[in-house]
Amino acid sequence: MTLHVLWPNTALMTVLAGAVLMAYVAFNGMLLVWLERKVSARFQRRLGPTEVGWAGLLQSAADVIKLLAKQLITPRHVDRPLYHLAPVLVFVPVLAGISLFPFDRHLQLHDFNIGLVLLFALAGLGFLGIFMAGWGSNNKYALLGAMRAVAQNIAYEIPLILATLPVVLLARTMSLREVVEAQHQLWFIVQQPVAFAIYFIAAVAETNRAPFDIPEAESELVAGFHTEYSGMRFAFFFLAEYTNMTIVCMIAATLFLGGYIGPSWLPVPGWVWFFGKVYLLLLVMMWLRWTFPRLRFDQLMSFAWGVLIPLAIVNLLLTAVAIKVWR
Amino acid sequence: MSVLVRLLRGIWSLMLGLGVTLKNLFRRPVTQTYPHQKPELSAAFRSAIALVNFPASGSHDCVACMQCVNICPSFCIKVEGDKPEGLKRKRATVFEVDYALCSLCGLCIDVCPTNTLKYSKTYDDVGYRRDQFVYDLLTPFRAGEAAWRERARVAAVEAAQPASAGPAAAAGEPEVGR
Amino acid sequence: MAEIWGEPAPQPLAGNGDDTYYLNMGPQHPSMHGVLRLLLHLRGEEILEAEPVIGYAHRAHEKMAENRNYLMFLPNSSRVDYLSGMIYNLAYCQAMERLLGIEVPERAEHIRVIVSELNRISSHLLWFGTFLLDLGGVTPFLYAFDDREEILTILERVTGSRLTYSYGRFGGVTQDVDALFVEQTLAFVARLRGRMPDYHALVSDNVIFRHRCEGVGLIDQATALRYGVTGPCLRACGVPYDLRRAEPYGIYSRFDFEVPTQPAGDIFARYLVRLAEMEQSCRIIEQAVAALPAGPIMPEKQKKRFKPEVGESYFAVESARGHFGIYIVSDGSELPLRLKLRTPSFANLSAVAAVLKGTMIADTVAILGSVDVVLPEVDR
Repeated sequence: MTLHVLWPNTALMTVLAGAVLMAYVAFNGMLLVWLERKVSARFQRRLGPTEVGWAGLLQSAADVIKLLAKQLITPRHVDRPLYHLAPVLVFVPVLAGISLFPFDRHLQLHDFNIGLVLLFALAGLGFLGIFMAGWGSNNKYALLGAMRAVAQNIAYEIPLILATLPVVLLARTMSLREVVEAQHQLWFIVQQPVAFAIYFIAAVAETNRAPFDIPEAESELVAGFHTEYSGMRFAFFFLAEYTNMTIVCMIAATLFLGGYIGPSWLPVPGWVWFFGKVYLLLLVMMWLRWTFPRLRFDQLMSFAWGVLIPLAIVNLLLTAVAIKVWR
Repeated sequence: MSVLVRLLRGIWSLMLGLGVTLKNLFRRPVTQTYPHQKPELSAAFRSAIALVNFPASGSHDCVACMQCVNICPSFCIKVEGDKPEGLKRKRATVFEVDYALCSLCGLCIDVCPTNTLKYSKTYDDVGYRRDQFVYDLLTPFRAGEAAWRERARVAAVEAAQPASAGPAAAAGEPEVGR
Repeated sequence: MAEIWGEPAPQPLAGNGDDTYYLNMGPQHPSMHGVLRLLLHLRGEEILEAEPVIGYAHRAHEKMAENRNYLMFLPNSSRVDYLSGMIYNLAYCQAMERLLGIEVPERAEHIRVIVSELNRISSHLLWFGTFLLDLGGVTPFLYAFDDREEILTILERVTGSRLTYSYGRFGGVTQDVDALFVEQTLAFVARLRGRMPDYHALVSDNVIFRHRCEGVGLIDQATALRYGVTGPCLRACGVPYDLRRAEPYGIYSRFDFEVPTQPAGDIFARYLVRLAEMEQSCRIIEQAVAALPAGPIMPEKQKKRFKPEVGESYFAVESARGHFGIYIVSDGSELPLRLKLRTPSFANLSAVAAVLKGTMIADTVAILGSVDVVLPEVDR
């Protein structure tokens, strides 16, 4: 049943696919920054960028040029290898992660049978980079931010994974493609609304977005783990954050919202459905960010351990029982 | 049960907040796009001081009384004056304001006996050096200064001759009501 | 790690032997409201000791007053606390009027009340915005600034300035108000009332906001009184002390308003008190506008030079942050012998340092934000 149309069986294909994905990641980052600025502006009754390009569309491009042109400052007291490696280590996993998704029925690099596990493993790897950045910066604010990031990541990866397990139970597979294929009749969000809610909340926390943005809470920790980074190194953290957002929304779209599947009577290609769902979820994430104040660190923890994880476990158990009874 | 109620109530409160931001998403932005849209200045708007150009005399009426210099809390006004030929009152020859120091309190305008000080309406002055903000308030009046002095001298001479019954203070001393 | 790569390992920062450390928060920090420096002694995120270090915005206002005549101190007065410049400016005028024995015309008194209360609302709105910014909510900040902009526009039209007004003079005010001002003011009051439900839905009822605020940063009544805390912070401890009511100055005794209090003494109580105060200010404005008489805005005889008799004068007003007092000693010359400013933020900040112990970094920011300190006012 698997059709690997884009299966990169030659070195050239692999390189080509990688280049396309990298281009997409860069483009997506710029688009999301523009979107975030524009959307947040409209929520706050401002205009947002208007000067560069139509409706400020080229503002992000101008910013990239600015960031590229900036001097790379390395503070004197940093742990150099860690400090230099961290932005790369944050960025590479997200690049790898984005290559796993079935963008359309025939548009996937490779469908791993453990795609979901791989995704979460890669997401966990990114936090290593964040901790390296915080530790290597030799700055107390950065270290505090990194500590918060790691604790938060551990706490929120559990509900994140627990919320996806019911879907795995229902679809009987961990392959992203087959999960989508299992949703032709009914999207899993209908069967698993609680799991979707838990997943989405945990995903917002996992990407360090407000109201869970405590690792980089600017009013407390200046800029958190990337306090000492500037220029293109900072841009890598930024890009990784936005790509991470895209990834968690892609997971949500794949697992709960039927991925590339839309109403069959509409003559719209599957990838349009997929990206439509992803960007809709991204807009919701922005909406959340620009509405709520930030949680405190301990409240964030107790919310994960005291509310989300028990709820996710109960939901998982109920799903398992229900499957056992009705199948 | 109360835990569930609290949870639901909390979720509802978050929904309310989302509703507020959503409502504002579709309202008109209030931003003024500054260089394209200039602000409307009120009549009372305070900026650097300037000398009033009285139409009657075609010039300012600073008599170099030094009251503004003395009252200025920022010590940013510099005035010098001389006595023009044939005139009883002094006349400013230097009137400089260091706008970088000015705190726009308006005390100089309050004390001016001839009401020849006013606020200008410039709000977008920029510069690279501090001395660029030392404004010479007499600049717009320099060109007409010699002519004014000549008119004032003639008027004074005419006023001194009892036979000529012309309007004495036509040029030299404009009517200024306080 | 660096050793493996053949580089010298970075020197660890000088420690004190245990797992505690010091963190300098400020003077350059996003949420230190100006230039406060907090020296925090921390274990993890928990604060063992907090020491505020002040003086970074010291401009020697009191000394400046001794070196210039009474009128020349006018622009300084609104720069002590730039957020309630109007109230401070008029407080200085009132202190001088008491010293000089000048009668203020009725119209000027009413105008003073209206602009002072507008200024108070604008200060509270700015506090509301920046406090939410400290808690990580950016959007309420911009909504509050949108509202505040209205006030600034109204005041700019009358006073010519948006922040440091210098609007008062000994005996009255500089500019008269017109019908448009009255119309705009009433329109703003209506607008603010219309916005309040939004603010409550977006912020006051928000469960995250409640969690951040309720039971955090408790300043109990005894501590508050011991440190001389005044203003909304004191009223949030259940003490209904408001100078406009306790020692009415100007014409405040004529207006019907309440002194909102809250018993809890936590951040949320301070928040509620300030929001309630905005409503009370609206009520005062409405009454003052309704009673605005015609007439002069300055006394008939205006003096250019002021030489008070030998003596002293203390005048206190309720600023947006609390009890603001001006003490002037005159030796009969044109310059004051001594001018002392009693600023509320200084006392309030002292109490903050006492309650920071045992909280977390995130709470520090919230508590400091809730107390509404204006650092230039602390340092003077």
